[in-house]
Amino acid sequence: MHKFLLACLVFALPILAIAQYPGYKPVVDLVAFSGRFTAASRQLQSVKSDFIQEKNLSLLADKISSSGKFWFKKPGMVRMEYLSPFQYLVIISNNKIYMRDGQKENKISSKSNKTFQQVNQLMLDCIQGAVLANPAYQASVLEGGDYLIALSPTAAGLKEFFSHILVYVSRKDFSVTKLRMDEKSGDNTIITFTNKEMNVPVADALFTIH
Amino acid sequence: MYRLPMRCLLFISLVLFSCGCSNAYRGMTAVPGNAACLERFKPHFIKTLYRTRVDLTGNHLSGILLIKLMPDSSTRMVLSNEMGFSYFDFAFAADGSFRVFYILPKMDKKAVITTLRKDFELVLMQHLDSQQPQIRWREGLTYYRFPQASGSYYYITTKDCGQLVRMERAGRRKPVVTAVMSGSGQGVPDSIGITHNNFNFTIGLKKISP
Repeated sequence: MHKFLLACLVFALPILAIAQYPGYKPVVDLVAFSGRFTAASRQLQSVKSDFIQEKNLSLLADKISSSGKFWFKKPGMVRMEYLSPFQYLVIISNNKIYMRDGQKENKISSKSNKTFQQVNQLMLDCIQGAVLANPAYQASVLEGGDYLIALSPTAAGLKEFFSHILVYVSRKDFSVTKLRMDEKSGDNTIITFTNKEMNVPVADALFTIH
Repeated sequence: MYRLPMRCLLFISLVLFSCGCSNAYRGMTAVPGNAACLERFKPHFIKTLYRTRVDLTGNHLSGILLIKLMPDSSTRMVLSNEMGFSYFDFAFAADGSFRVFYILPKMDKKAVITTLRKDFELVLMQHLDSQQPQIRWREGLTYYRFPQASGSYYYITTKDCGQLVRMERAGRRKPVVTAVMSGSGQGVPDSIGITHNNFNFTIGLKKISP
């Protein structure tokens, strides 16, 4: 009986995944995908990119759009500079998060704030290809025009915010093209990376927290 | 020997007590009139985005507030941080009722929700339609008082009601919250400032879209 239930589950999960993400089907050779994704991420030293962020408000049938510049540099440094329609700066470096809003500055140690640490780790794991190994999520990998890593948070903290996190990965170079974070409320935030330049010189000064 | 200092102490205490209990709304002259002139100061939001800055006892928080008029004539307010994570989603119905669609678990406290509700009700001026105010003059200003179950809302204009000087939410004797609006072109203020007088809590809104 247990074996029958397990067999049903094994067959049902891919069908559920297909129903949930139209245009995508489960990756057959997960080991091969994981190997190529991790290998490509190991090669990645830096990223310079533009980004467009859309927050979709489900009940209001509306969205809030913003855009800016994104930088990543190993090991684990991220700079997101919002330029339109407002200016805002976020730097993640050495387990610290720095935020600048006009003249106001905020510094948070991600170690002292578990949720910030998890969000910080999520962003870094996505870029560095370690997201599949993070025990804070249950992951399934699908493929269509590109790859889709669907993450369900299992760790407390993130579970309060997100129902799913979807990471879209390019078939061409295994880089992250889009990040979608589905909130419990039904709203979601989509960050799309454009004009990506990989392994270009990126100055350390961009990630300096004063 | 100790009588004089004790008397002094008693006198100082009485002076301090009477100052503490002084009525900020004393010495006003009741005048006839109606509140029709206030209608022109009432904000008419269709869909407006505000850059939002909140300072609460030394902590700074920022984000984007979307204020949208819904088809059922309710006004929705959704505050999210720059990276898209929602803080709250409130609905202020035309009949004065209020609904919380979402609030961040850490903010989900009755005192927080009530404070925010009352602050935004003051600015939305929804009760103008439902009751006639008491009108009084003092020092070149006209005070329109709308009594509530606890405390009152005051809309304070120039004597001829040509300009809205400020809005106040008051207890029995003193203003608890003071709010100002500026640049109300086409019924939508360019900026809104809300200041709590009893503790260090301010909300600043600056329009970023028409």
